[in-house]
Amino acid sequence: MAKILIPTPLRQFAEKNNSVDVAAATVGEALASLTTQFPDLRKNLFNDEGKLRSFVNVYVNDEDIRYLQKDATAVGDGDTISIVPSIAGGRC
Amino acid sequence: MIRVQPEPWATMVAHAQATYPNECCGVMLGSIDDDNKVVEVAINLENAYSGPQNEHYEVRPEDLLMADREARKLGMDVIGIFHSHPDCDAYFSKTDLENSCPWYSFIVLSIQKGTFHHANSWLPNEERTHAAQEPLEY
Repeated sequence: MAKILIPTPLRQFAEKNNSVDVAAATVGEALASLTTQFPDLRKNLFNDEGKLRSFVNVYVNDEDIRYLQKDATAVGDGDTISIVPSIAGGRC
Repeated sequence: MIRVQPEPWATMVAHAQATYPNECCGVMLGSIDDDNKVVEVAINLENAYSGPQNEHYEVRPEDLLMADREARKLGMDVIGIFHSHPDCDAYFSKTDLENSCPWYSFIVLSIQKGTFHHANSWLPNEERTHAAQEPLEY
């Protein structure tokens, strides 16, 4: 089982769990399992085309999946999946 | 409403003044009870923007990941992000809005001539097309 850490503001859509264990072989399968179990999470993580929203980054342990195999990144027992937003801005 | 306790508030203001005339950024940790948020810890982050930092900031996702781990260790929640506007008011700019995340509170500190002037908190909507002002106490 891999563990998905749920960011604080999204826990309301995941029955207040701060983490969810999922049986999955890849990150894509893990997130599919998560959003099947908690459908209200789907619109928070994915756009209408089913892609991760532009500001959503996914990490397996300390690695951004964009620099691994993206959705196909393998996960297994003991792996932790984190959902981390991109944040920036400026006064102008 | 969001209330920042004195210690994290001092940390945030000191960081914003120390980084002047550049924009600063950081993460706020604490507790949430319904819509009442209390900031108990502020973590200063490095502005990772590669261009002119006097008018832009960027949070490294890796730094936010570390902050989330710290929050879990402390039994707290990640409540929001703070950043500064050097010699500008504490509005939520178009750039702030378009590069925000609808999950968090965003506190903007206005630093005028190197000294803290005022602050506001903002809540971006889901589409990141509008940010509502959130009552802020510090």
